[in-house]
Amino acid sequence: MTHIAPLPKGKISDPEMIELIAEAEKLGVPDDLFPRIVARASEQAKPLMRALLLSHAQGNVDHRLKETIRVLLARFANDKYFSALRSRKAREAGLTEARIDAGCFEYESDRSFTEAEKWALRYADQMFLDASKIDAAFYAELKKHYSEAQIMELGAFIAFHYGMQMFMRSLGATTS
Amino acid sequence: MATDPDKVDAAFFDELRKHYSEEEIVELGAFIGFNLGYHTFFGSLKFYPLFSPDGRLLTQAESEKLYGATPASLKSKEAAE
Repeated sequence: MTHIAPLPKGKISDPEMIELIAEAEKLGVPDDLFPRIVARASEQAKPLMRALLLSHAQGNVDHRLKETIRVLLARFANDKYFSALRSRKAREAGLTEARIDAGCFEYESDRSFTEAEKWALRYADQMFLDASKIDAAFYAELKKHYSEAQIMELGAFIAFHYGMQMFMRSLGATTS
Repeated sequence: MATDPDKVDAAFFDELRKHYSEEEIVELGAFIGFNLGYHTFFGSLKFYPLFSPDGRLLTQAESEKLYGATPASLKSKEAAE
Protein backbone atom coordinates (compact mmCIF):
# COMPACT_ATOMS: atom_id res chain seq x y z
CA MET A 1 0.00 0.00 0.00
CA THR A 2 1.56 3.28 -1.10
CA HIS A 3 0.98 6.56 0.70
CA ILE A 4 -0.69 7.80 -2.48
CA ALA A 5 -2.99 5.20 -4.01
CA PRO A 6 -2.39 4.40 -7.70
CA LEU A 7 -5.22 5.11 -10.11
CA PRO A 8 -7.10 2.02 -11.28
CA LYS A 9 -5.95 1.20 -14.81
CA GLY A 10 -9.50 1.69 -16.10
CA LYS A 11 -9.38 5.35 -15.04
CA ILE A 12 -6.46 6.09 -17.37
CA SER A 13 -7.94 6.93 -20.75
CA ASP A 14 -5.24 9.00 -22.47
CA PRO A 15 -4.11 6.87 -25.45
CA GLU A 16 -0.47 7.98 -25.21
CA MET A 17 -0.35 7.18 -21.49
CA ILE A 18 -1.86 3.75 -22.16
CA GLU A 19 0.79 3.18 -24.83
CA LEU A 20 3.58 4.28 -22.46
CA ILE A 21 2.31 1.90 -19.76
CA ALA A 22 2.28 -0.94 -22.30
CA GLU A 23 5.83 -0.05 -23.37
CA ALA A 24 6.97 -0.03 -19.74
CA GLU A 25 5.29 -3.37 -19.03
CA LYS A 26 7.03 -4.86 -22.05
CA LEU A 27 10.39 -3.60 -20.77
CA GLY A 28 9.62 -4.53 -17.16
CA VAL A 29 10.75 -1.16 -15.75
CA PRO A 30 8.65 0.39 -14.40
CA ASP A 31 5.73 -1.97 -13.91
CA ASP A 32 2.27 -0.37 -13.90
CA LEU A 33 2.50 0.99 -10.33
CA PHE A 34 4.72 4.00 -11.07
CA PRO A 35 2.64 5.24 -14.04
CA ARG A 36 -0.64 4.68 -12.17
CA ILE A 37 0.66 6.86 -9.30
CA VAL A 38 2.09 9.63 -11.47
CA ALA A 39 -1.09 9.54 -13.59
CA ARG A 40 -2.72 11.34 -10.64
CA ALA A 41 -0.81 14.40 -11.90
CA SER A 42 -1.98 13.91 -15.46
CA GLU A 43 0.06 16.71 -17.07
CA GLN A 44 3.28 15.44 -15.48
CA ALA A 45 2.74 11.75 -16.08
CA LYS A 46 3.52 11.47 -19.79
CA PRO A 47 6.80 13.45 -19.80
CA LEU A 48 7.95 11.54 -16.70
CA MET A 49 7.18 8.20 -18.34
CA ARG A 50 8.78 9.22 -21.64
CA ALA A 51 11.96 10.37 -19.87
CA LEU A 52 12.12 7.25 -17.72
CA LEU A 53 11.78 4.89 -20.70
CA LEU A 54 13.95 6.86 -23.11
CA SER A 55 16.82 7.38 -20.68
CA HIS A 56 16.86 3.71 -19.71
CA ALA A 57 16.15 1.75 -22.86
CA GLN A 58 17.43 4.03 -25.62
CA GLY A 59 20.64 5.94 -26.32
CA ASN A 60 24.24 5.03 -27.01
CA VAL A 61 25.33 3.46 -23.73
CA ASP A 62 24.97 -0.32 -23.31
CA HIS A 63 21.52 -1.03 -21.86
CA ARG A 64 22.90 -3.86 -19.68
CA LEU A 65 25.31 -1.41 -18.05
CA LYS A 66 22.52 1.12 -17.49
CA GLU A 67 20.32 -1.61 -15.99
CA THR A 68 23.12 -2.53 -13.56
CA ILE A 69 23.57 1.15 -12.67
CA ARG A 70 19.81 1.54 -12.17
CA VAL A 71 19.71 -1.35 -9.67
CA LEU A 72 22.85 -0.05 -7.92
CA LEU A 73 21.17 3.34 -7.46
CA ALA A 74 17.84 1.85 -6.33
CA ARG A 75 19.61 -0.22 -3.69
CA PHE A 76 21.57 2.85 -2.58
CA ALA A 77 18.31 4.83 -2.40
CA ASN A 78 16.82 1.99 -0.33
CA ASP A 79 13.92 1.97 -2.79
CA LYS A 80 12.25 -1.43 -2.61
CA TYR A 81 10.12 -0.78 -5.67
CA PHE A 82 12.71 -0.05 -8.37
CA SER A 83 15.22 -2.42 -6.71
CA ALA A 84 12.91 -5.35 -7.40
CA LEU A 85 12.21 -4.58 -11.07
CA ARG A 86 14.33 -5.96 -13.90
CA SER A 87 14.60 -5.05 -17.57
CA ARG A 88 13.59 -7.90 -19.86
CA LYS A 89 15.60 -6.28 -22.66
CA ALA A 90 18.77 -6.43 -20.52
CA ARG A 91 18.05 -9.99 -19.43
CA GLU A 92 17.52 -11.06 -23.04
CA ALA A 93 20.83 -9.40 -23.91
CA GLY A 94 22.53 -11.62 -21.35
CA LEU A 95 22.53 -9.62 -18.12
CA THR A 96 22.28 -12.01 -15.16
CA GLU A 97 21.41 -11.40 -11.52
CA ALA A 98 24.95 -12.40 -10.53
CA ARG A 99 26.34 -9.76 -12.89
CA ILE A 100 24.01 -7.11 -11.42
CA ASP A 101 25.13 -8.03 -7.89
CA ALA A 102 28.78 -7.90 -8.93
CA GLY A 103 28.16 -4.49 -10.53
CA CYS A 104 26.56 -3.23 -7.33
CA PHE A 105 28.96 -4.60 -4.74
CA GLU A 106 32.31 -5.73 -6.15
CA TYR A 107 32.96 -4.22 -9.53
CA GLU A 108 36.26 -2.68 -8.39
CA SER A 109 37.83 -6.08 -7.75
CA ASP A 110 35.96 -8.02 -10.46
CA ARG A 111 38.27 -8.38 -13.45
CA SER A 112 35.38 -9.19 -15.78
CA PHE A 113 34.32 -5.51 -15.75
CA THR A 114 36.12 -3.36 -18.30
CA GLU A 115 37.73 -0.07 -17.26
CA ALA A 116 34.94 1.77 -19.10
CA GLU A 117 32.26 -0.14 -17.15
CA LYS A 118 34.07 0.49 -13.87
CA TRP A 119 34.21 4.25 -14.52
CA ALA A 120 30.48 4.33 -15.33
CA LEU A 121 29.69 2.40 -12.14
CA ARG A 122 31.94 4.74 -10.12
CA TYR A 123 30.11 7.69 -11.67
CA ALA A 124 26.79 6.36 -10.34
CA ASP A 125 28.29 5.24 -7.03
CA GLN A 126 29.93 8.57 -6.24
CA MET A 127 27.19 10.87 -7.55
CA PHE A 128 25.08 10.48 -4.42
CA LEU A 129 27.73 9.10 -2.06
CA ASP A 130 30.32 11.86 -2.44
CA ALA A 131 29.67 14.13 -5.42
CA SER A 132 32.79 16.15 -4.58
CA LYS A 133 34.80 13.22 -5.97
CA ILE A 134 33.26 13.78 -9.40
CA ASP A 135 35.67 16.56 -10.28
CA ALA A 136 37.54 17.67 -13.42
CA ALA A 137 39.99 14.74 -13.10
CA PHE A 138 37.06 12.30 -12.85
CA TYR A 139 35.47 13.72 -16.02
CA ALA A 140 38.86 13.61 -17.78
CA GLU A 141 39.01 9.89 -16.97
CA LEU A 142 35.42 9.32 -18.14
CA LYS A 143 36.31 11.02 -21.45
CA LYS A 144 38.96 8.36 -22.09
CA HIS A 145 36.19 5.76 -22.29
CA TYR A 146 33.06 7.64 -23.38
CA SER A 147 32.12 10.45 -25.77
CA GLU A 148 30.76 13.66 -24.24
CA ALA A 149 27.31 12.66 -25.52
CA GLN A 150 27.55 9.32 -23.72
CA ILE A 151 28.70 11.04 -20.51
CA MET A 152 25.69 13.37 -20.64
CA GLU A 153 23.44 10.37 -21.34
CA LEU A 154 24.88 8.54 -18.33
CA GLY A 155 24.76 11.56 -16.02
CA ALA A 156 21.19 12.44 -16.92
CA PHE A 157 20.14 8.78 -16.59
CA ILE A 158 21.75 8.52 -13.15
CA ALA A 159 20.22 11.80 -11.94
CA PHE A 160 16.71 11.13 -13.21
CA HIS A 161 16.41 7.52 -12.08
CA TYR A 162 17.83 8.25 -8.62
CA GLY A 163 15.34 11.10 -8.23
CA MET A 164 12.40 8.88 -9.17
CA GLN A 165 13.69 6.12 -6.88
CA MET A 166 13.78 8.55 -3.93
CA PHE A 167 10.26 9.65 -4.84
CA MET A 168 8.97 6.05 -4.90
CA ARG A 169 10.81 5.33 -1.65
CA SER A 170 9.02 8.27 -0.02
CA LEU A 171 5.70 6.77 -1.13
CA GLY A 172 6.55 3.45 0.56
CA ALA A 173 6.17 1.67 -2.78
CA THR A 174 6.95 -1.98 -3.39
CA THR A 175 6.30 -3.88 -6.62
CA SER A 176 2.62 -4.13 -7.59
CA MET B 1 13.24 13.51 0.92
CA ALA B 2 16.79 14.76 0.32
CA THR B 3 18.25 14.85 3.79
CA ASP B 4 16.21 12.32 5.83
CA PRO B 5 13.80 10.34 3.66
CA ASP B 6 12.68 8.16 6.59
CA LYS B 7 10.84 11.18 7.97
CA VAL B 8 8.54 11.17 4.91
CA ASP B 9 6.18 8.55 6.36
CA ALA B 10 2.40 7.95 6.48
CA ALA B 11 1.90 10.68 9.12
CA PHE B 12 3.85 13.10 6.93
CA PHE B 13 1.56 12.34 3.97
CA ASP B 14 -1.52 12.79 6.21
CA GLU B 15 -0.23 16.25 7.02
CA LEU B 16 0.48 17.02 3.34
CA ARG B 17 -3.11 16.03 2.48
CA LYS B 18 -4.41 18.75 4.78
CA HIS B 19 -2.82 21.32 2.47
CA TYR B 20 -2.58 19.71 -0.98
CA SER B 21 -4.63 17.47 -3.24
CA GLU B 22 -3.24 14.04 -4.13
CA GLU B 23 -2.53 15.37 -7.62
CA GLU B 24 -0.48 18.22 -6.14
CA ILE B 25 1.41 15.87 -3.80
CA VAL B 26 2.41 13.62 -6.73
CA GLU B 27 3.44 16.70 -8.71
CA LEU B 28 5.55 17.97 -5.79
CA GLY B 29 7.11 14.57 -5.08
CA ALA B 30 8.14 13.98 -8.69
CA PHE B 31 9.43 17.57 -8.96
CA ILE B 32 11.51 17.19 -5.79
CA GLY B 33 12.88 13.82 -6.94
CA PHE B 34 13.78 15.27 -10.33
CA ASN B 35 15.59 18.24 -8.76
CA LEU B 36 17.30 16.09 -6.16
CA GLY B 37 18.89 14.04 -8.92
CA TYR B 38 19.61 16.76 -11.45
CA HIS B 39 21.09 19.36 -9.12
CA THR B 40 23.64 16.82 -7.90
CA PHE B 41 24.51 15.97 -11.52
CA PHE B 42 24.68 19.64 -12.53
CA GLY B 43 26.80 20.36 -9.44
CA SER B 44 29.33 17.77 -10.63
CA LEU B 45 29.55 19.56 -14.01
CA LYS B 46 30.56 22.79 -12.26
CA PHE B 47 28.51 25.27 -14.19
CA TYR B 48 26.94 28.37 -12.81
CA PRO B 49 24.19 30.83 -13.84
CA LEU B 50 25.03 33.00 -16.86
CA PHE B 51 23.54 36.13 -15.30
CA SER B 52 23.87 37.99 -12.00
CA PRO B 53 20.67 38.77 -10.05
CA ASP B 54 20.72 42.29 -11.62
CA GLY B 55 20.96 40.88 -15.14
CA ARG B 56 24.69 41.26 -15.91
CA LEU B 57 26.26 38.60 -18.17
CA LEU B 58 28.91 36.75 -16.14
CA THR B 59 31.89 34.56 -16.96
CA GLN B 60 31.76 31.14 -15.27
CA ALA B 61 34.59 32.24 -12.91
CA GLU B 62 32.65 35.38 -11.90
CA SER B 63 29.46 33.39 -11.50
CA GLU B 64 31.15 30.77 -9.30
CA LYS B 65 32.43 33.58 -7.05
CA LEU B 66 29.00 35.19 -6.90
CA TYR B 67 26.83 32.14 -6.43
CA GLY B 68 29.36 29.84 -4.76
CA ALA B 69 29.85 26.12 -5.09
CA THR B 70 27.23 25.28 -2.45
CA PRO B 71 23.57 26.14 -3.04
CA ALA B 72 22.14 28.64 -0.54
CA SER B 73 19.74 26.00 0.87
CA LEU B 74 22.62 23.68 1.76
CA LYS B 75 24.68 26.59 3.18
CA SER B 76 21.81 27.31 5.61
CA LYS B 77 21.74 23.64 6.56
CA GLU B 78 25.50 23.60 7.16
CA ALA B 79 25.23 26.74 9.30
CA ALA B 80 22.48 25.16 11.41
CA GLU B 81 24.56 22.03 12.12
